[in-house]
Amino acid sequence: MSRTHHLRLPLHADAVRELAVGDMVMLSGDITISIGLPTHKRMVSELKAGNALPLDLHGGAFFHLSSYIRDTDAGPQALYMNPSTSTRYNPYMPDLIRLLGLRLVGGKGGLDMASVAAMKKSGCAFLSFLGGGAPLLSEAIRGVVSTHWNEYISQFRLTTLSVENLGPATVAIDAHGNSIYDDLKKKAEDKLPGILSELARQRQAAASSS
Amino acid sequence: MPITSELIRSVTADLYERSLKKIPEDTKAVLRRAETRDSSDTARKTLTIMLKSADESEKQDHLICSDIGIPVYSVKIGTKVHFEGAVRQAMIDGLADLAANIQPPILRMVTNPLTHQRGYAGKDMPIMTFDIIDEADYLEIICAPKAMGSGRWEALETFVYPTLEDIEKYILEVVMKAGSQPCPPIVVGVGIGGTFDYAARMAKQQILRPFGKTNPEPILAAMEERLLKAINSMGFGPMGTGGDTTAMAVHIDYAASHGFMPVAVALNCWINRRYGARIQNDGSVEWFE
Repeated sequence: MSRTHHLRLPLHADAVRELAVGDMVMLSGDITISIGLPTHKRMVSELKAGNALPLDLHGGAFFHLSSYIRDTDAGPQALYMNPSTSTRYNPYMPDLIRLLGLRLVGGKGGLDMASVAAMKKSGCAFLSFLGGGAPLLSEAIRGVVSTHWNEYISQFRLTTLSVENLGPATVAIDAHGNSIYDDLKKKAEDKLPGILSELARQRQAAASSS
Repeated sequence: MPITSELIRSVTADLYERSLKKIPEDTKAVLRRAETRDSSDTARKTLTIMLKSADESEKQDHLICSDIGIPVYSVKIGTKVHFEGAVRQAMIDGLADLAANIQPPILRMVTNPLTHQRGYAGKDMPIMTFDIIDEADYLEIICAPKAMGSGRWEALETFVYPTLEDIEKYILEVVMKAGSQPCPPIVVGVGIGGTFDYAARMAKQQILRPFGKTNPEPILAAMEERLLKAINSMGFGPMGTGGDTTAMAVHIDYAASHGFMPVAVALNCWINRRYGARIQNDGSVEWFE
């Protein structure tokens, strides 16, 4: 049976190792978000060149959440947020997880096994947020802590938000090398020959009854 | 009395907004049924928050998803319809009105494929397809925006004299490749035959088909039923984190073809965005899902 964890950031690696796939998480604290491919590319190249990012993400939570940031006289305001498909950042995530020692990553749809290996080493878990969850997820936003690389469009910036009880999100990859996505894909592939023969059986039954 | 450009312009904007904020009732009904039946604990919990998100988007007049996709309009014109003024330009203007006025404001998703520049408008935006309804005195417009979550997994392959087995296997392969990623439970629309372009169009039209209507072609009705069961036995589940609810419906259409027979597979994510309007010659508008 899955457990529900109420987590407050920043997290120690030991706390992340407590999480198991299938657990649910409600998250509070500061999270950094971006869905920009150029953003990911730039983060990796800066880090590999030995340069610091404009904010300290070490040991932090970095999610593929898209957000509408409105610039007001009182500063930036986040109107809503919602996850995007994480797999398109597969080429960049192992480096980011490793070089920043990230504790939580997430979005939706998962990451590949290279990221799963980096997560195991770093003590990092992947959270699956509800796609089409903007009305619910946005209720957790308490304020914008900072935005960087503001030359990008809203959802591509590096935005840090303060959140309270963000979730529920599902732990879909844990820090022990378990990935729901990899597991489900393998199981589905194993089932496919059986599914195809069942379809053949049904087609024959339909043909002989007509 | 003719259908004016002004009316088309405002209906175009309204349809996009409604599709972004309201999940179709038939879709919610399928999710509710699955919420009580799915054998996976994670799946039932995920379906519960999906339904909550659907309710909240209506209550709060909120966008259900931040990825509002690119606007896609399917237009059917009755041959007895009278227009006053432009139609295409009215729809382009309607899109501009929406981008300027919708609350909460929308993100820029329209992307130039050559430069990756993003905006609210672009070449051939909104995407419009036009069809004719003989003898009808109304105009029908359906807006079904397309976003990356499900859009990137849609596929087409051209076969030569495929068997039903070849076709079914291909559909399952497309669903398998998408796996956990297209925000399941999905709607699967399939077009078999015709030509390259027509197969894709049929697949898209099948996405727009309301749930619960039996396919008039018995071969396809049986195929839809067995493929839905087959996809739901794969195990990807809601949001791809496991369960028995990977698809809500499989809808298939076909057209006569040649020896080469394209098979197109379109996918919609769980929020299944679609909203329609029927505009009569007298200017009255009837909305439908």
